[in-house]
Amino acid sequence: MPPPPTIAQQLAAKQRDISIAEFFERNRQILGFDNPQRALLTTVKEAVDNSIDAAEEARVLPDLLVEVAKETDERLRVAVTDNGPGILRREIPNVFARLLYGSRFHSNRQARGQQGIGISAAVLYANLTTARPARITSKVEEEEAAHVLELVLDTQKNQPRVVSEDVVLWDRPHGTRVELVLKARYTRGRQSPLDYVRSTAIVNPHCRIVLVEPDGTRTTFERATTDLPPLAKETLPHPFGLELGELGYLLKGTRRPTVAEFLAKDLQGVSARSAKELLAAAKIPASEPPAKIQAERQERLLDSLRAASLLAPSSDCLSPIGSLLIKRGLRNVLGELRPEFFAPPVSRPPKVRGGFPFMVEVGVVYGGGLPADQAIQILRFANRVPLLFQQGACAITNAVGNLDWRRYGLEQKGGSGVPIGPALLLVHVASTKIPFTSEAKEAIAEDPELDKELTLALQAAARHLRTHLSRKSRREFASEKFAIIQKILPKLAEKTSQLVGKPPPDLTPVITRIMDVVNVDAPVVRAPERVTLPVEVTNYTPRPRVLELFAELPPEVLAVATFAPAPDGTEPELGRAWWTLPKLAPNGRTKLEVSLPPKTDVEANDVDWYVAGVDESHLLGADPLPGDWDVRLPRTIVEAAEAAAQDAAAAGAADEEVDYDAAEASASSRDDE
Amino acid sequence: MPPKRARAAATTSDDEPKIRADALRPTLALAKQIYEQLDDGEIPRMRLPLRTKQNLSFQMREGVWKLGKAMGTRSARKLDGALMLLRTFYLVDFINEMARDRKTSTLRELYYISEGWEEAKFHSEDESNLLIEDLEVLCQRLREDFRLHPEENGASVIGDLTIKERNRKGQVKRINCRDDVGDGGYSLPFNVEKEKISFVGTNAKFVIAIECGGMVDRLAENGFDEDQKAILIHLKGQPARSTRRFLKRLTEELELPVVVFTDGDPWSFRIFASVAFGAIKTAHISNYLATPGAEFLGVTASDIENYELPSDALSDQDVRALQAELTDPRFATAEWRSEIELMLKNGKKAEQQSLAKYGLNYVTEHYLPEKLNQMGVL
Repeated sequence: MPPPPTIAQQLAAKQRDISIAEFFERNRQILGFDNPQRALLTTVKEAVDNSIDAAEEARVLPDLLVEVAKETDERLRVAVTDNGPGILRREIPNVFARLLYGSRFHSNRQARGQQGIGISAAVLYANLTTARPARITSKVEEEEAAHVLELVLDTQKNQPRVVSEDVVLWDRPHGTRVELVLKARYTRGRQSPLDYVRSTAIVNPHCRIVLVEPDGTRTTFERATTDLPPLAKETLPHPFGLELGELGYLLKGTRRPTVAEFLAKDLQGVSARSAKELLAAAKIPASEPPAKIQAERQERLLDSLRAASLLAPSSDCLSPIGSLLIKRGLRNVLGELRPEFFAPPVSRPPKVRGGFPFMVEVGVVYGGGLPADQAIQILRFANRVPLLFQQGACAITNAVGNLDWRRYGLEQKGGSGVPIGPALLLVHVASTKIPFTSEAKEAIAEDPELDKELTLALQAAARHLRTHLSRKSRREFASEKFAIIQKILPKLAEKTSQLVGKPPPDLTPVITRIMDVVNVDAPVVRAPERVTLPVEVTNYTPRPRVLELFAELPPEVLAVATFAPAPDGTEPELGRAWWTLPKLAPNGRTKLEVSLPPKTDVEANDVDWYVAGVDESHLLGADPLPGDWDVRLPRTIVEAAEAAAQDAAAAGAADEEVDYDAAEASASSRDDE
Repeated sequence: MPPKRARAAATTSDDEPKIRADALRPTLALAKQIYEQLDDGEIPRMRLPLRTKQNLSFQMREGVWKLGKAMGTRSARKLDGALMLLRTFYLVDFINEMARDRKTSTLRELYYISEGWEEAKFHSEDESNLLIEDLEVLCQRLREDFRLHPEENGASVIGDLTIKERNRKGQVKRINCRDDVGDGGYSLPFNVEKEKISFVGTNAKFVIAIECGGMVDRLAENGFDEDQKAILIHLKGQPARSTRRFLKRLTEELELPVVVFTDGDPWSFRIFASVAFGAIKTAHISNYLATPGAEFLGVTASDIENYELPSDALSDQDVRALQAELTDPRFATAEWRSEIELMLKNGKKAEQQSLAKYGLNYVTEHYLPEKLNQMGVL
């Protein structure tokens, strides 16, 4: 009788490979396939991200067709076609039907996909839920025809299996088409394919994307620019971001003969001298061959690398969107909502977090068709990829919620949380390594360095919003005054003079008393032949004024502008021009005009107007000249400004009686009998 | 508890003929004032006494609450003020036009007339009513002097009261408000002045002013007016000016005491206040509308407890209304304060018809006789 199996033998009998299928089943939610709605979105997202990455790498303007069609009640067919470089026949099976296979995992630069899981996971999900193979069509430019492969992922071996293969003619020079049939549910609204494609179009204004939905609705997002974003450079790994395993991998793989040379040439930020110093600190001979550094010596090396003072990681491996394109992307996609204000987008300089460079960009849109009574929309992006799920768990949302938006003109309960108002925030985090909360890459994890940058960028954007809102409220205040002096006063004079049987009085003194401002009106007028800014400066104050007017335009706009009359001075590099205006009597007005070539990309918001010779409280439509302009003002202007300030102080002393028509007085009586 | 107030000496309406004199002259004075300001280069403005709760002051001589000395300015410096100034003269124009054409207009018609006033048109009837009251204050006239009147709202009177009414055709009709009218009673016109209505005589001993129509019907059906020699007047919620004026004339000319019988809630207290003390909105003519001798019969907060009446919990709005009453100078007597505080403490309100809990006759056979005896009216 054989002896009974030992415990160790019993345990050994249970040890076996976990199949890929089991792994997938157990990790559905971290991969983004835990329900039919999310599975569809993840599939579209992986295919779209891959397509844009591929086209950009080949320096082709991405052109995507995303089709979602209904197969049965529970099954959808998703097809994404791109104009990328195409994939070589021999690579197709591995790219689409093998987990953890990819070209970017080891590269140290910003890219949409990184892990080599995404699209293969979608293929696997399709295989598992509908037993249908993925159908891949791809053509590279140097071949005449396209290869069509039907693939399944062998879940035992994590290997692709080609079910069928064909060669067809395809009417495009190069490109790839992925077709999957999967168990999924189509929705519209938030977290829908349309939502995803729209968001993608905003931060990728160089892409043209067409979406065809199951009901046949076809939505086209045209590209807003033909400039491809510069390809992020691949850079050497920086010691700050290095883990022990990675260091070992690099040491093993390098061709450098000595460890000193490896440190100085295969890593970023390590000079030959600092390599020597830190090797000495780690007690490793500089001439040691890299492959011989093992185990405990690797740890010592990593410790002294981390302790050394090294050059900061370079940031040219990042590909920010840039403030110009954020604005264009937002305007291109949100134009139909007619927002009243697109804030100048904020692009923070790159910073480093744990050895990896990163940067934050923020855009703000306000007003128009955006709902005023709901929480603002936050469009979150990581490396130009929209984040649609887990908003509440995301570092971006937290940074938004930690800012007191009431100071910037939005409503916010208790001064924290997502604010309420007709606004939309775009927040983009670009990095070679985004700290996601999970493999599904749906939310960014908290990090003090990142949070600091997010806060600074949000504050800068919020300040633009506050400026806009305060200008708007001053405009409303002005329009109220204009209504009084232009419509109501003349009628009041007419009615009362008729009743008393006398001629209507001259209203100039009353008008200037009511207004008591110098008003600068400078709209942008677009005509086919040119764009003009007809500027009117009116002295609605009771005293004559000598004023100096200053304009600040984007320098490229100033370069093509002509003025009538000519300015008394300009500073082209700074985009500045100025005029000494003729003396303005009470109610007096002077005009000047700025002419620009047709279609000049300029808005009233892009031009700042400043006036010297009158204090801020008596100025509308312009701001007082900032102190840092360092302009020598004519003596008359300085004197006028001083006199005006004295006037204002004197006027402030006169006390006002209760306003009879203020809400309080009439409301309490309305409440009564 | 009923809150007792010293019955003020009934005021005779000596100043009445003054009020009803030529209304156009003061409106022209207003136009002249604004014209001169414009001509002098001043921002046009008018000063008006504030018609707020805080600006009520008690007039010893008349025993009513009138406007105090706090003034506000309506100025063309602000859009709202400028619009109200302009509306004032559209209104003056319209009044002149009506005087020329011998027409009158309802308040609601005026609101629609303003459709032709361009930016000066009224946005709500509240706005036009407020402006008319402003004009009353500024010109020391009544809106009827400006040929403006409310729609007939026909508060009804039931009881042995004989009056003479001059009708639209100028005929004088003699009417007894019990024998010559249907079940609906005699309907008050908007004008209840002497030239329209005069009193012939009555056998009644007192007047009972009632908030709800259902209770008026109950008392009439039970023959309360005949049994107790009472005149029933239906207030229809917050009473119209004509109803309040009629009550005042009844006490002054026929020397009848007035008691007010309402629901037991904060809003009913305000109904009583407008009858007895004078309303905030019409404080400028309180001496003409208020009946200082009127007394509150109930339903009081203590009635709800003593009679164990079916009640509802006070709503948030009710509580706010009671708290506002605690800062209202008209309710600043010990009796009213304790009444309001008791209601706040118990947190309950009740309708007058909740007395039906004890049967249809309970109110006329038990509740009213008991209360009226306590008050010394019966």
